Amino acid sequence: MLFPGCSANRHEIDVDIPVITIQNTGSNFSQISIIGGCDLRILRCVLFIATLVVLAPAVANAGSPRTFESDVRPIFKTHCFQCHGEESKIEGNLDVRLVRLLVSGGDSGPAFVSGKSGVSFLIGRLESGEMPPGEKKISAEELRIIREWIDQGARTARPEPASVDQLIFTDEERNFWSFQPVVTPPVPAVKSTNRMLTPVDAFVLERLERDGFSFSPDSDKRTLIRRAYFDLLGLPPSPEDVDAFLVDKRPDAWSRLLDRLLDSNHYGERWARHWLDISGYADSDGYSEKDRVRESAWKYRDYVIRSLNADKPFDQFLTEQLAGDELVPRPYRNLSDADKDRLIATGFLRNGPDGTADRAVNQDIARNEVVAETINIVSSSLLGMSVGCARCHNHRFDPITHVDYHRMRAIFEPAYDWKNWRSTEERRISLWSDAERQLSEDVDAKLQQAASERAAQIKQHIAEVLEIEIAKLPPDVRKNADIIRDGVLNRSRADRTPEQVAILKKYFALNVYVGTLSQLYAERYQKELKEHNSYIAKITALRPTENFIRTLSEIPGKVPVTYRFRRGSHTQPAEAVLPGGLSVLTRGEPLVLATHSELKTSGRRLAYARLLTSGQHPLVGRVIVNRIWMHHFGRGIVGTPGDFGSQGDRPTHPELLDWLASHFVRSGWSLKELHKVLMMSTVYRQSSTRTEMLDAIDPDNRLLGRMNLRRLDAESIRDSILAISGNLNTTLYGPPMPVTADGVGQVVLGTPKNDREGRVIALKENAAFRRSIYVQARRTLKLDMLATFDAPTMTPNCEQRNSSTVASQSLLFMNNPELLKQSNVFAERVVKDVGNDVAAQLRYAWRLALASEPTSEQIKRSVAFLLLQKKLAEQKITELKPEETNKVRFANEPDKQALTIFSQFLLSSNAFLYVD
Amino acid sequence: MGLGGLAATWLLTKDGFAADMVKPTLERPTFDLKPKPPHAEPAARAMISIFTSGGPSQIDLFDPKPEVDKRNDTEFTGDLKLGSNMAARNSRKLLGSKWKFRRYGKSGIAMSELLPNIGSIADDITLIRSVQTFNSSHGPAIAAINTGRPLRGRPSLGSWVTYGLGTESQDLPAFVVLTDEAGLPLDRNANWSNGFIPSIYQGSVVRPREPRILDLDAPDNLRGPAQREWLAFLDQFNREHLKQHPGENDLEARIASYELAARMQVAAKEALDFSNESKATKKLYGLDQEETREFGSRCLIARRLVERGVRFVQLHNAYQQWDHHSDIHGRLPVMCRKTDQPSAALVKDLKSRGLLDTTLVHWGGEMGRLPIIETQKPIGRDHNPNGFSMWLAGGGIKAGHVHGKTDELGFRAIQDSVTHFDYHATLLHLFGLNHRKLLFERSTRQERLTDGQPAKVVNGILKTPIA
Repeated sequence: MLFPGCSANRHEIDVDIPVITIQNTGSNFSQISIIGGCDLRILRCVLFIATLVVLAPAVANAGSPRTFESDVRPIFKTHCFQCHGEESKIEGNLDVRLVRLLVSGGDSGPAFVSGKSGVSFLIGRLESGEMPPGEKKISAEELRIIREWIDQGARTARPEPASVDQLIFTDEERNFWSFQPVVTPPVPAVKSTNRMLTPVDAFVLERLERDGFSFSPDSDKRTLIRRAYFDLLGLPPSPEDVDAFLVDKRPDAWSRLLDRLLDSNHYGERWARHWLDISGYADSDGYSEKDRVRESAWKYRDYVIRSLNADKPFDQFLTEQLAGDELVPRPYRNLSDADKDRLIATGFLRNGPDGTADRAVNQDIARNEVVAETINIVSSSLLGMSVGCARCHNHRFDPITHVDYHRMRAIFEPAYDWKNWRSTEERRISLWSDAERQLSEDVDAKLQQAASERAAQIKQHIAEVLEIEIAKLPPDVRKNADIIRDGVLNRSRADRTPEQVAILKKYFALNVYVGTLSQLYAERYQKELKEHNSYIAKITALRPTENFIRTLSEIPGKVPVTYRFRRGSHTQPAEAVLPGGLSVLTRGEPLVLATHSELKTSGRRLAYARLLTSGQHPLVGRVIVNRIWMHHFGRGIVGTPGDFGSQGDRPTHPELLDWLASHFVRSGWSLKELHKVLMMSTVYRQSSTRTEMLDAIDPDNRLLGRMNLRRLDAESIRDSILAISGNLNTTLYGPPMPVTADGVGQVVLGTPKNDREGRVIALKENAAFRRSIYVQARRTLKLDMLATFDAPTMTPNCEQRNSSTVASQSLLFMNNPELLKQSNVFAERVVKDVGNDVAAQLRYAWRLALASEPTSEQIKRSVAFLLLQKKLAEQKITELKPEETNKVRFANEPDKQALTIFSQFLLSSNAFLYVD
Repeated sequence: MGLGGLAATWLLTKDGFAADMVKPTLERPTFDLKPKPPHAEPAARAMISIFTSGGPSQIDLFDPKPEVDKRNDTEFTGDLKLGSNMAARNSRKLLGSKWKFRRYGKSGIAMSELLPNIGSIADDITLIRSVQTFNSSHGPAIAAINTGRPLRGRPSLGSWVTYGLGTESQDLPAFVVLTDEAGLPLDRNANWSNGFIPSIYQGSVVRPREPRILDLDAPDNLRGPAQREWLAFLDQFNREHLKQHPGENDLEARIASYELAARMQVAAKEALDFSNESKATKKLYGLDQEETREFGSRCLIARRLVERGVRFVQLHNAYQQWDHHSDIHGRLPVMCRKTDQPSAALVKDLKSRGLLDTTLVHWGGEMGRLPIIETQKPIGRDHNPNGFSMWLAGGGIKAGHVHGKTDELGFRAIQDSVTHFDYHATLLHLFGLNHRKLLFERSTRQERLTDGQPAKVVNGILKTPIA
């Protein structure tokens, strides 16, 4: 996110911003107060600062004396702890983790003199830039804070513990907002009770009212239905959908609409996309240029769609993805559909980049990277924490220790045992039932039998032919018939005696083999061959296709010891570590391992899943509801959905976040219920129109005094164009539509022809018109149409998408052949549906593309535009030589050209690309 | 509803002092590509970077080591770790250069016989023999020299420069990337990513063959008045839509992007079409020879773009084409024949047109190579990020100058070393930008190209040193 208010003087902003001291009090807004009726300069300044404070991650809190724990320790932790305390060798014997230790000092004596920063050794070392060594220096601002702390008497917030090892985390760190238990806050009282539809409204409105604001007016029904369709389905409403909603005057029309959308299968396709982004789903390995395709990864994608459509309780959804294999009794045979799903769900943990199939890469490094990327995905998606920063040393900003990282590693290491690595082929599980397996074995036996019968048959033919040839030999040679038979029928070429070789060389016709049969006895041979082949084909067809799934599981009884890796290097193992959650939350207690009677494996992941889904975990619920909120409103209550730590944003509405998190758990972890609660609110139903007043104070709309205008994401753009043109193929599930690079390097749907020109075998039309979630997600190849509109590359996952505005997008709308083709299909659909009346065509096209009704003025101008385009097309024909007319599209169909270009206009407009 | 708090305050300021309001500090940041004044008088107005990723062998091209030649095929007895932390997998056998070095020009800069044309511009360049990127893997080293840190996800040089200065031409992209016909470089578009700054600053790829820009041409049936009228109609409708959505920057930006796209259809077409260049110019860039035609075309396009006001152009080679772990004796000359003449032609051509003074030309990659043998058959050299060479020309750079020095075997820089962040501070300085002041605000931190590293402007290579 950007810091608004910085554009005008961005080169000087390093002077402006740090003036505001940032102190964490857990809430952004609690301390905003405004002085009325003052001097203009002050007022302007107040407004400026107020704006910044509204937007800044924390609030100013000047005046109170500096303490080690709040002010200085975080700086030391970032820059100094590693060498001066945490590592076994303490540099210069100076441990800077406690004030007491700073005072007793190291080889160079006490680190500072209380009250006198000017003569303090520590300040001298920092000031000269000698410390910290290396590229990263402390800033002038940080130095100023340390000086002030010394000059104010080097206070501690409380008596320091007896042993430094007791102090893994300070109270300040433990008390950080996101680590606190979720408590259901009371719903606040508001003034404008008429706007209060759900508790969500109360939290948002109360905050708005504190600054004298209220909600924006409700959006009209057309805006609402389009918003709801794109939010829930990623597709536009049809004109009939809009009409039906407009005439539905029942008081619960909106609620009914939402229920209907939540029941649609397209809902799962839309929301699976969000989950696939954060879980790093891809159909290829990544890591190295090889980027091998993952053959059955798509089954995980289908599992996600299915689960969301079924509104599978989210705790179950998470548990299956973390430990589905530990819920299924072994051996994994004759699986029920539910058990299949539990195994497929663990594909979540196989989503990260994995270079281990590429023999060209260093295996030990690649294997450990798989573990690391998996931890990155799990922690950013479920914990909203960058645990990965603690891979080499204690987290520099957040209370996540180096040991914590390895405790998390220990959860996954029994499944990802880097010293006993299993390849993708070894990890996959066949879904064959015993019956299918038996059938397959029968087929194999039959095939084998057929093969040996055929071999015998051929041998017999060869013998027959050989006799005929022997009969043709001169008598003196013929007397060696037995020797000849032995040489041809029983021996391979290399085994023949010199005598046999000599005869066969001289009498070439004696060299009878399969090839001779097909030449000399073509008819009979071909007939037999055909019979044989059709028998083989018939038998083979009986064999069920082996259906593999991509899973993560452990080998029962095999639990490797996890070691802490010094500096994150697998070549430097230190002490052994037991599995566990973040110790700031668990007080360092190891994970209580899960057991059940069927469990044959370590139970670590299952225990971890239970820990995360207990309903008590402070991060998991907040992180999930925040993501859902973000996808509905364009921005999370916490603006950094993957970072709930000290470097991330603070929640704009902390009580609301907690209310939602606890409501989510109380309502059985139902996502559909959560969507409903959010979308039934006035907050959601507001108009997105900016007002000058709100913009002045809150340009980023953090207070939610209006709805946000949002650009359609890449998938919604492509899917909607297909839906509007009528081409969309709504088949659910299955293998992805393949992507490939064509001869000029564009990434398109299809398979490579492997010729010199790099041509592409296109998919059969209808097969290419499926929703974008079914486009193959290669880590190195992104379909151009999607990449142009910021579809992410999974490295390893995507926490939040960009929304860019670049000329290549405009060129695509202007000239891209695929877009023009769909515009044409769209135009044809319009003619087919409403006939030849121009005004009716325009109105219908408008309704299809924009879900709105054109004004009479717009119709009038559009008719004029259509006539103009028609005239231009006719003119063009007169300019063309006769032989050129068949090369130019629509050369003889000016009406069609005009309507196509109008359709293209609708699809290229901001009214289509953005959702109000 | 009664107004209180911030809302009331705002009304007060608006009603009483509207004319005097300092609106800009309250608005959402807007980003555009309009020309922006630098912090100080600039020497350079544009930059062309010939980015030779993979690690061109400085010991065979730019940095003669007679001591290695003398001890060719003998065991190196020193500490290999000092030489390179990658050195473990290498042999210890020293490998002299197969090629002779010559002194070129009045300045007498010693360069390889493989580069006679770059030799012929010796008096126009500064050759730096002491560059360091500290990372011996390609990915991190490329990121370091191209984005400031050995990490992914940061904005590239071109993004920073265009973010700081905008561009002179509103009809062409500000930052153009010219990729090789044989494919994309390692890490592909991360090389020209805008990272965390807005995407209008990302590099626009001009493809190595026609169509050089995708979707640039209107199809026959739309070309001409039909598309012009279409754009006008769309513009009118989008502006009406904007009126109902006051203050939405993104809607405005998209209206502008259609305008740019329309202008690009003419301007980019003209800029990329070099058919009207004189025969002599085409010959200068080697367009008449098979080996140099492709690379020469891109160098010529680079000049044409800069001439037309594009701020930053970067040429990339295909995946690891300079990464000669094996068969360096066969493969290095191929790359030299491909690039030597066109690279030199670019400098000569810019000079003859009076553009060299304001155009900074860069030639170099992310690392160099070791003086010892890595693979015996066929012979190759391993990475060396601790002391390699690159050259700069024009745009305020000293002419006919050598800067820095490596040890007698060429393992590492021992004098006047230039780190990637020194290089960045220097090139920003040439553009009149202070690397400490060119910053981008993110929610919780200020980002700079040099990112707090102890970067220094390399005074010794400036035509006008800082007093």
